[in-house]
Amino acid sequence: MKSSTSSSMRRTRRVRSTATLGGLLTLAVTLSACGGGAEQTSDDAPAASSAVDTLKLANAVAVDTLDPIQASANESIWMDQNLYARLVQTDPSGKEIVPDLADKWDISEDKLTYTFHLRDGVKFADGTPVTAQDAKWSIERARDGEDSAWGFLITPVTDITATDDRTLTITLSKPHAPLLADLAMYAYAVLPQKAVEADKDFFNKTPYGAGPFKVTSLSPQSSVVLTRNDNYWGPKPKLKTVEISIVTDDNTRLLQLQGGEVDVIENPAGNVLKQIEANPRLRVDLFDSTRVDFVSLPLKTKPLDNVKVRQAIKAALDLGRMNTLAYQGNAKVATTFFPYQMLFWDQSAVEPKQDLAGAKQLLAEAGYPDGFTIPLIAVSADAAGQAQAVVIKDDLAKIGITVDIQSFELSTAYDKQRPGTNGMGMRYWTNDIIDPDEVATFGADGDGGANAFNSYWKDEAVSALVNEARSETDETKRAALYAQIQTAIADQVPFVPLAYAPFRYASGTWVKGFKVSPLGNYNDSLLTLTVEEH
Amino acid sequence: MPVLFGITLVSFLLLRLVPGDPAQQILGNRYTPEAAAGIRRSLGLDQPLLSQYWLFLKGAASGSFGESYQYHRPVGELLLDRTGASLLLVGLTAAFCAALSIPLGIWAAVRRGGVVDQATRIFFTLGFALPAFLVGILLILVFGLKLGWAPIGGYGTGFLSHLGHLVLPALTLAIPLSTVLVRSLRASTITILESDFVTIARLKGISEGQILLRHVLRNAIGPVAVVFGINLAFLVGGTVVVENVFSVPGLGSLLVGAVSTRDYPVVQAVALVLAVFVVVVNLFTDVVHGLLDPRLTVGVQR
Repeated sequence: MKSSTSSSMRRTRRVRSTATLGGLLTLAVTLSACGGGAEQTSDDAPAASSAVDTLKLANAVAVDTLDPIQASANESIWMDQNLYARLVQTDPSGKEIVPDLADKWDISEDKLTYTFHLRDGVKFADGTPVTAQDAKWSIERARDGEDSAWGFLITPVTDITATDDRTLTITLSKPHAPLLADLAMYAYAVLPQKAVEADKDFFNKTPYGAGPFKVTSLSPQSSVVLTRNDNYWGPKPKLKTVEISIVTDDNTRLLQLQGGEVDVIENPAGNVLKQIEANPRLRVDLFDSTRVDFVSLPLKTKPLDNVKVRQAIKAALDLGRMNTLAYQGNAKVATTFFPYQMLFWDQSAVEPKQDLAGAKQLLAEAGYPDGFTIPLIAVSADAAGQAQAVVIKDDLAKIGITVDIQSFELSTAYDKQRPGTNGMGMRYWTNDIIDPDEVATFGADGDGGANAFNSYWKDEAVSALVNEARSETDETKRAALYAQIQTAIADQVPFVPLAYAPFRYASGTWVKGFKVSPLGNYNDSLLTLTVEEH
Repeated sequence: MPVLFGITLVSFLLLRLVPGDPAQQILGNRYTPEAAAGIRRSLGLDQPLLSQYWLFLKGAASGSFGESYQYHRPVGELLLDRTGASLLLVGLTAAFCAALSIPLGIWAAVRRGGVVDQATRIFFTLGFALPAFLVGILLILVFGLKLGWAPIGGYGTGFLSHLGHLVLPALTLAIPLSTVLVRSLRASTITILESDFVTIARLKGISEGQILLRHVLRNAIGPVAVVFGINLAFLVGGTVVVENVFSVPGLGSLLVGAVSTRDYPVVQAVALVLAVFVVVVNLFTDVVHGLLDPRLTVGVQR
């Protein structure tokens, strides 16, 4: 991870020198990979198959906090899923809600009352029973807590009552289709009320809930050690220990995997995937994700306020070529702004095709037959985003638009993008819940608080559709509403969805059964995976 | 003291001049102007700069650095967690520097133009010319991956394991630093070997080994200690890079992470701690120099 505090004047030179050094390092790593590095087992030895009970995983990003209502880094969120059970959970496919602490629930005719029944005898990791009161307290804490970023999800909830130790009733002011998906989210984890209230440092020491693992050692930004929770209600993990280390340097992570010091690494650099595949002891794991890359076309930058200009930009792009260059063909071309691994993704939407003649025609109609010049703000450390930006520049040049790519470090790039007046911007989105309400609100509702992904585009009719879809509990009608919303964004182009990028991991062949769900968590696979001697 | 005050002011202002919003980092995808405003209010970032700085100074004076935005923990705790690894790394680096440069420097001086002299010159020039993180990666490739002698990054658990994990990062720091030390030790040794008192000692019939130990080394170490002290700023900078390459949980990696997430309280506190460290070591260097060099006594002009 690089941090830059240098002035933008030196930017281009720095980026170039980093690129050269990056190339050198890649070469070094490649050489070692081609040399079949880390061959510590002799070739003629039989493949060992005795299992070890520890998985070592190297993450790229630090765990910021283990308090579920405050987590923002994905790596923290995925950790929460291993520690804390919720009333209900998302199944491994990421498309269905299945029981967790509650084994059944009833929904009233008018869809305004949800009654959850807790399993018999569920316990927290310390052996104390999980009660409906714990659930009530935890959900209220996530909804009303000052530190919670997630209260807005369940605003229609008017009342939460623990009628007895095992029954929880939630009352709504109006039907709220995403409720179960919201409650399956990490922020709505059921926590041991007494223990959390008794110790203000609960989440900084060895936090626990009722999930399959508990924390036995925690040093933020360095390592987290999880141990199997023997009081877990569900299937017991085969693993006894999961050691998660934070290794920010891409090359070091890969070298550790090659050396067999870790079993799984997060985010191997895109340009070394082929070398990893070439090593017989290693494997590249690509998993479907809910990540959508897009380029925003904010209406506050002229002439992007003209819808024909935005449509021209979209028509000029060759997304297939972009994919090959940015993701070595490992991503899918985005057809709508919804993640394709999510409920109500419009399956009938087709890949946008490059149409330069049509694009020029639209530009001329908009009054820019000779094109114009416009900046594009990209994140310097994001290799895929950089490649996408270059393709955008190249494609738009074909219709007379000159793109000035300006690369900044992440924080700075987002600062520049936020006002919407500094040109186009490279962005991406990932989901936290399986319900599309979240992405629809942030991306398509101009009044939704995020200014439609910072594009400052607003369409009252579309905002009304988003609100209607939230309260519609009939799945067929809901799907139709979301299809309309996706079509509206495709037609009016406040931003151009570019790619559905996979989650990238690499692991040793001695790890059997590591899987990541489209929401990014791997807690389900930790229950079943095995690690062999290596 | 004025140095430290300057450091706090510069780091405070630099941080806020750089674009980037802590609220954006905290909210990530879920950024909305409304939520961000709430976060800025709760962090006190809506206050005027001067009063923010004053609050930081007041806190620092009483030993409290506030709470990290990213980790939601007192910054003091994070510093305590991380200082050990950095100190151990710097200590091990100093030990490696001494082990590498003292014998090589003296040897190069005694056998001027010999094989050792030439070889150290070539080796260390290379080590000095390559950027620290590249040296680190090369060391990992050779000693970690091919030979399997040393762990690749991380910190391990337990003191011995910590030391083992720090061998490569300390070497990465020691190699370029030893370059400077070997050259300066060689130069000061040559000067002393050609000085009058060594000639007199030889005339007295004292053996060459004795001369080296008693007279030359004692007199040559002083200047080298000074060079080491002067290069300390370089060492601190190098530590920041090397800790990131090797994932050592020290102050350097804490600093880099905090800068990129705009975790203001952590950056300010680490900058202050590093500054204090440099000041203290410089002071220590002066004292050691004075003790080692008999020509320097308090109150006497050289």
